[in-house]
Amino acid sequence: MGRLARSLRDGIGFDTLLVFFTLAYLLAFAGLPLLYNIVLSFQSVDMFALGSLFHEVTGLENYRAVFEDPLARTVLWNTILFTLGSVLFQFTLGFALALFFNQAFPGSTWFRGLFLAGWVMPGLVVGVLWNWLLSGDFGVINWLLLNTGIIDDPIFWRSDTDYSLLAVMLANIWYGVPFNMILLSVGLAAIPEDLYEAAELDGATAVQRFFTITLPMMRSTIGAVIALGIIFTLQQFDLFAAITSGGPAGSSMVAQYWSWELSFRQFDFGRGAVIAVMMIVVVLGVAAIYVRSTRQETRL
Amino acid sequence: MSALNENRKNAVLFTIALVIAAIYLFPLYWMYVTSLKTNSSIFAVPPEFLPGAPQWQTYALIWNESDILRYLKNSIFIATGVTLVTVIVGAGAAYVLARYRSIWIDIALFTILMLQVLPPSLMVTPIFVAFTSLGILEYPRIGTILAISAKTMPFFVILCRAAFMSIPRELEEAALVDGNSRAGAFVMIVLPLARNGILVAALLIFMQGFGEYVYSASLIADNRLQPASIGMTNYLQPNVVTWNAIMAFAATYVTPILAAFVLLQRKIVSGLTSGALK
Repeated sequence: MGRLARSLRDGIGFDTLLVFFTLAYLLAFAGLPLLYNIVLSFQSVDMFALGSLFHEVTGLENYRAVFEDPLARTVLWNTILFTLGSVLFQFTLGFALALFFNQAFPGSTWFRGLFLAGWVMPGLVVGVLWNWLLSGDFGVINWLLLNTGIIDDPIFWRSDTDYSLLAVMLANIWYGVPFNMILLSVGLAAIPEDLYEAAELDGATAVQRFFTITLPMMRSTIGAVIALGIIFTLQQFDLFAAITSGGPAGSSMVAQYWSWELSFRQFDFGRGAVIAVMMIVVVLGVAAIYVRSTRQETRL
Repeated sequence: MSALNENRKNAVLFTIALVIAAIYLFPLYWMYVTSLKTNSSIFAVPPEFLPGAPQWQTYALIWNESDILRYLKNSIFIATGVTLVTVIVGAGAAYVLARYRSIWIDIALFTILMLQVLPPSLMVTPIFVAFTSLGILEYPRIGTILAISAKTMPFFVILCRAAFMSIPRELEEAALVDGNSRAGAFVMIVLPLARNGILVAALLIFMQGFGEYVYSASLIADNRLQPASIGMTNYLQPNVVTWNAIMAFAATYVTPILAAFVLLQRKIVSGLTSGALK
């Protein structure tokens, strides 16, 4: 038996082969597209140029077109607003629920698990459900708001430019709460019980215990959860497709949807690639911070 | 605290939990209730929170008229393909990354984590252009499976790595002492022991493939090959009024996912939490 075959079956070659197999796949279907994205952003690519891998090079023309687009400012603002709003509320609600279910009462673990039913749903279906809940004339949310006197006239969530982004954000908050809650629950469970007992003996109130024990002990978990929240929110696409399609008049357009729309509705793949490249830089930046911070804490 | 007080406190907490869970799960309840209403009662004001006589014929209607069976078959085809590719290509690396610590392992892990965060709606432009010019989109569902798998693979590797890390190294070493090769010990000892973790991770990947939308919507032009997520959007034309039919479609689509979730809830939760924060 040759040395190579031996090594592949029984030595370091075996490990190398296994890792190489996976990395080669990821390189082919994620790494190369990532680089190709950058190439495309400098080229003019329309429907008729799809036959070949390389196209007419137009330099920074696509970038110029994107920045001068009247929609660009709205999209930038919407993306920031959507991300911050979603992450803030997902995190706050998720943390509140995690704290609540951290009190061990009969059935607490089971109830907590129920919330993940939202998380396992396909994003598109979640969008369709919220589309119906937020319907203008017959939506159950408008009915509730009208009857509790919070609003006087029905809100046309999907067709009112003031509310369309909020409509998608509401759905996204609902969708993201379970994940935040579960991860924060894991962090809470890891805090040693005797810390709380000692503080209680010293006469610390529940609020004091939260700020002097829970928050400091949870710092790395909170950082990780918020970073993951930003990453997942910047990936959110299905809810936009199912609720507003970025409309009306671009009022709920965010970068990750705009990129797709330029490519697959206007068939201007070069400009779609421009937005994709810029957004990917942002996402990878957040991810790098996340990986570095968790690495220090948990020996990745 | 006395036992009586403890009981009362538990009862209060239990009630609050019940209310919160009911509020959170209301959208799912509303989907099922709406799907069973008549064409006129879906528009009743105030809304009817309990269904009247269940209108099962709506399900029969979408079953016969919306090609939902074909859509679901395509969803299953894509989800199965994604799961097979992800598990076969990803399990080995998860094992190696769990066994060793070195600078190379750290670099590989970092690369994998970075690739996990790439938003599909941004990656689909280069993938579409490349796949079209390379002729891969002659087989659109295969192309879609390859693209989705690149997205699910990092998540699977991270979850699976956690499962492999929980297997004592001594068991593997004992197998090597008994004369097994590394490959033999991996297949005979490690894989069977990590079976549960791998299955849970594979199930989560299957669910993702089953509900996937971006790649399918962008890469599959032929209506006959599209999955159920796109079948739903075909229903969602502007000014739709048949919300009961749409909800029946949605319910048919997600009930298998929810059923799997309810049956395996505890394993999914523990699998998820062990992988996500490490």
